[in-house]
Amino acid sequence: MSALQTRRAPAGPGAHRTAAPGSKSPATRRPRLVYVLLIALVVMFVLPLLWALSSSFKHRGDIFTYPPQPLPSPFTLENYTRLLDTQPFWGWFATSTIVAVVSTTVSVFVCALAGFAFAKYRFRGKRLLFDVMFSSMAVPFAVIVVPLFVMLVKAGVTNVYFSLIVPWVAPAFGIFMMRQYAEQAVPDSVLEAARIDGASEFGLFTRVVLPLLRPALGALAVWSFLNSYNSFFWPLIVVSDPAQYTLPLGIQSLYAAEGRQVDLVLAGSVLAAVPSLIMFILLRKQLLDGLTAGAVKS
Amino acid sequence: MLSVARRRALAPYAFISPFYLLYALFLIVPIGIGGYLSLTEWAGLGTPLWVGLDNYTRLFGDASFLTAIVNTLLYVLFSVCVVVPAALLIAQALNARGLRGRDFFRLTFFIPVVLSPIIIALLFTLFYDREYGLFNAALRGFFGWGGIDWLGEPSWAKLSVMLLVLWRWTGYLTIFFLAGLKNIPRELYEAAAIDGAGRVHTFFNVTLPMLKPVTAFVAVTVMVGTAQILEEPMLLTKGGPGEATLSVAMFIYREAFTRQQLGYAAAAGVVMFVIVFLIGRTANAVLGVGREK
Repeated sequence: MSALQTRRAPAGPGAHRTAAPGSKSPATRRPRLVYVLLIALVVMFVLPLLWALSSSFKHRGDIFTYPPQPLPSPFTLENYTRLLDTQPFWGWFATSTIVAVVSTTVSVFVCALAGFAFAKYRFRGKRLLFDVMFSSMAVPFAVIVVPLFVMLVKAGVTNVYFSLIVPWVAPAFGIFMMRQYAEQAVPDSVLEAARIDGASEFGLFTRVVLPLLRPALGALAVWSFLNSYNSFFWPLIVVSDPAQYTLPLGIQSLYAAEGRQVDLVLAGSVLAAVPSLIMFILLRKQLLDGLTAGAVKS
Repeated sequence: MLSVARRRALAPYAFISPFYLLYALFLIVPIGIGGYLSLTEWAGLGTPLWVGLDNYTRLFGDASFLTAIVNTLLYVLFSVCVVVPAALLIAQALNARGLRGRDFFRLTFFIPVVLSPIIIALLFTLFYDREYGLFNAALRGFFGWGGIDWLGEPSWAKLSVMLLVLWRWTGYLTIFFLAGLKNIPRELYEAAAIDGAGRVHTFFNVTLPMLKPVTAFVAVTVMVGTAQILEEPMLLTKGGPGEATLSVAMFIYREAFTRQQLGYAAAAGVVMFVIVFLIGRTANAVLGVGREK
């Protein structure tokens, strides 16, 4: 309450800041109420994850105790060793990683190419083509899932990698993001200069445009990777062989199995979360800025 | 050999062609197949049997489908009325002048988006557990009583799904609002302060109008996204108890893959497509997305 009042004070007469920037006038006093709110939120966001991390090192019987045990005692790695010994965890991990890496690489390339074309060329039908592309973002996933599955089955496509990767490598959102970025980041003069030097249009793209798009490529790469790596619904439909499960399917199968192997689920979740968290932390700035760029500008 | 000018004119078509090829194959064709299947009865084997509009008339008499629509609309309503304002509030807090650790906070709130929904849903299933869950344990700790049947009682189950949506998506929306807030020129606030405007007044007369494009974007994203909600109810409650948390997307999944009624599921898909399209269109019209062009 008092924080609110002190913040309101400078609005009064004579309160406009004549002090040098950076000095502690009332307006720059740190908002205490804001910290209380934010820290409470951090607790709400992080506590569940810390609980999972801590519980993954507990014996099964210690996971659900009342009152809950904050730290594992005794500490054990048993859940992890048992997960790796009894489940094809590395197989799940391999499927997920291969699918995510291949999808990411292809979709970043496809989106950058199309985004560049929409940003920097004038051609007939451009506006219509762009609108058609853009509106596909509003097609609900659940709507195409059934017919797409039917189509793949009818076409005799049984390869899990094909089904998991190919239908999803051209996200309209990625093209939109690339176009937004390329419009600003690729100066026409640079393109003209490269053309005068005799570069082909595709050479222009690979040698001049791609390097300029690097921050946006990073953002799109993380976005695609996370989308693919975390996807659950589509793999659930197309993958039936447990040996070819992706990580989310594998973890789900542990929980769905008899006796709900919560201990293994927790260990698996922690391990599965590591790559996405590392990737996010490394490329966080690019991802967050890249995601918001299009929304804020348009 | 093509001339340079000719190649330059054809290049953009070549560049966008991979996308449109995939788009036609994996979006347009499935939509066409879905439209056709929706007029048939088919269990996945043999030839689909043409039934005309039967699936549609059946859908609108199907209590489960209507429940799914109502539940989905409730989720959408919750997202718009609770998740969006929560995200705006957090963004406003993050935008406070002189705040330290802004990046840390922003990052932390975004973490749920990074994690697999399956991990999150399973974790929350454990928290919601009636006997051993953390939520009831916390209630017991603070109030001496904690016997809420989070996932077993219809109203609580709906709320449980919504709380998960709140936890999972607020941080994601926050970053858009925060980016929008940062784009508001400082001078506007200074002018408002000189005019003697209070915080609330400033918020409604400076911040909100300036945020309109971002708000519109966020609202449309959220509506279209929540209209498709699947993972949260599916993993937390399997749509239950009864059908208390069933969503339209879950309904489609259930009809297609557990009941083998592919034609019926396709018809539900077409209806969903229309609903989502209308929601998107209405939101666009009301909020004026893209109107500035």
